[in-house]
Amino acid sequence: MASDEAPAIQARGDLEMLGISLLCEWDVLVFLHRHGVILNSEGQIARLLGYGKSAVASALDKLESSGLAQRSRSSRGIRLFRFALPADSRSGSFFDLMNLTEQRSGRLLVANILRPRTRRELAEQRDGLHLL
Amino acid sequence: MANPKNGLVRTGIVGLDAVLMGGIPRTNVILVQGTAGSGKTLLGMEFIYRGITQFDEPGIIVVFETNPDKLIRDAAAFGWNLKELQEQKKLQIVFTSPEVLDQEMRSPDSLLLETALEMGAKRIFIDGIGLLRHASANGGLMPLLGSGSYRELLQQVIEGLNRENLTAMLSHETGIIPESQLSLEAAGFLADTVIQMNRTMRNRRCYRSVEIIKSRGQDYVGGQHTLQINDGKGLQLFRRVQSPLIQESQPSSKAKRSMIGVGALDALMGGGIFDGSTTMVVGISGAGKTVLGTQLLREGVLKQKSRGLLISLDEHPAQIIRNAETVGIPLQPLIDSGDLHILFESPQELDIDAHYSRICETIEKNNIQRMVIDGMTSYSTALEDQGIYRDFVHALVSFSKYRLMSTFFNYENPEFLGITSYMPNFPVSSIVDNIILLSLIEINSSLRRCLTVVKSRGCKHEFDSREFLIGQGGITLLPIDEDPAKKLPLARYSSILSRAPTRFPFDGLAPDLK
Repeated sequence: MASDEAPAIQARGDLEMLGISLLCEWDVLVFLHRHGVILNSEGQIARLLGYGKSAVASALDKLESSGLAQRSRSSRGIRLFRFALPADSRSGSFFDLMNLTEQRSGRLLVANILRPRTRRELAEQRDGLHLL
Repeated sequence: MANPKNGLVRTGIVGLDAVLMGGIPRTNVILVQGTAGSGKTLLGMEFIYRGITQFDEPGIIVVFETNPDKLIRDAAAFGWNLKELQEQKKLQIVFTSPEVLDQEMRSPDSLLLETALEMGAKRIFIDGIGLLRHASANGGLMPLLGSGSYRELLQQVIEGLNRENLTAMLSHETGIIPESQLSLEAAGFLADTVIQMNRTMRNRRCYRSVEIIKSRGQDYVGGQHTLQINDGKGLQLFRRVQSPLIQESQPSSKAKRSMIGVGALDALMGGGIFDGSTTMVVGISGAGKTVLGTQLLREGVLKQKSRGLLISLDEHPAQIIRNAETVGIPLQPLIDSGDLHILFESPQELDIDAHYSRICETIEKNNIQRMVIDGMTSYSTALEDQGIYRDFVHALVSFSKYRLMSTFFNYENPEFLGITSYMPNFPVSSIVDNIILLSLIEINSSLRRCLTVVKSRGCKHEFDSREFLIGQGGITLLPIDEDPAKKLPLARYSSILSRAPTRFPFDGLAPDLK
């Protein structure tokens, strides 16, 4: 194994540990982490992040089901979204990835790992690709 | 106006509650307005933080534009651990948009207010309320008046917050564009308490101040008060110096006189000075003002048991102590025993409200009875504004009189030989009770020092000009008709204080000494 592949292998492992398979999911998770508690609609979060509404809604569904985010009841489409990283091994993976993606090279690495594999994924993520 | 002490919410911000006479009435909606960088967000954050940590009142911070992560980081610089408070469910930082807040406040099942209820929140801070004007359905600016207007929305926000018994602080940026000013005007009208925060430049340095524009249902100290942002502490407000003292009772006009401690000077003053009197010592540089000042303080401690305070903008404490040592006035033992305090502050960035506050604090904390300010000229140079300078002197005089302290101001007169006025720059001679002139006079080929009491309110003082020497122990007045140096005493001259002392004719004696 070449040593320059080590960060990619590490990142892939961390993403798997968190159950993140799309760049949009990672960006939503980081957004939640940075803001802690968000009172907003999924549509507005999507606009803030530059993704499509359905991609963000799917990401939030997935993050919630894997225990990384919490959502309150909906009040006319508005919810309280909270970052909720469990205190288990996933915590280490998350912060390792945060450190990695602080550098542009790290973000490109993660983006490459999470690149869309299907037309549908591509269509969903297209709006967010400008973030790269 | 009556002060509803029972229903006051204390902000916990150092100095602000004093200006607000204890706090803000609980149901008041507080608007904090100011330009960028004036400290609005910090004030709101500290209001919430102090509420939680000092008064057990959980709070919510609502932000539209600021990243909560950065708020937490910035708060940490002041030693406030917001993350921990969030984990303890005493604080909630909510990131939202103006549109959502608008919708939330109109909604009967508001998630924000539900959260406030769940955590027992008593305070809320909404940062950037002016952004609500952009919350119209079509994305444009809301109208200012009428149905669906910004004013109506603000009313809804205020109503919603009041329903939950939340004490709300709202911040609003003061912009220069008319739209911003109009929305601020609407917010200012609806709010019960309006706090104006300013950030201006003074002599190329940043100066922050706070002014209470209005506060319904209470008294407050008006005018601009100095605001400082202190690392590791937070905000600190200093009442403007000229604001009246807030005291429970008026000082008694005590007729007690105390000796200054310099024997002959006490005699010249007609038997010491009244407690609570103020004395201006005027003289050119090198005339002996500082020596007299340190001597007065030492004598005060040793003979009158009066604790002393020396304030200097010119000399560092170490330098003052060293110079006093050389004339046989040891100050260090008095400092070590806590009987003497030296307050030094550089005149370069003098914040007069903060400086005055530190003086008062030192006096109160250490029960100071005698104070020397060395010297006033540095204040006039540092302040550059005669009005502020006079306010400062008035405030000091008023405070020291209230505490019946003996206060001595040293003033450096720029005239070398003879004087034509006590204080040519920034005159305040009418404020003080006593004036002592220290002059240099030229007789034959030598300069001699001379002391004259020219004013002493309520005392039958002597008008004699007396020669004095500076030696071990400070200044010593020479006897009126005797000169150990074998020179003619000053009594044998006329026009001592003019620029040309003249020896009496005849046999060299003044007529009354013949």
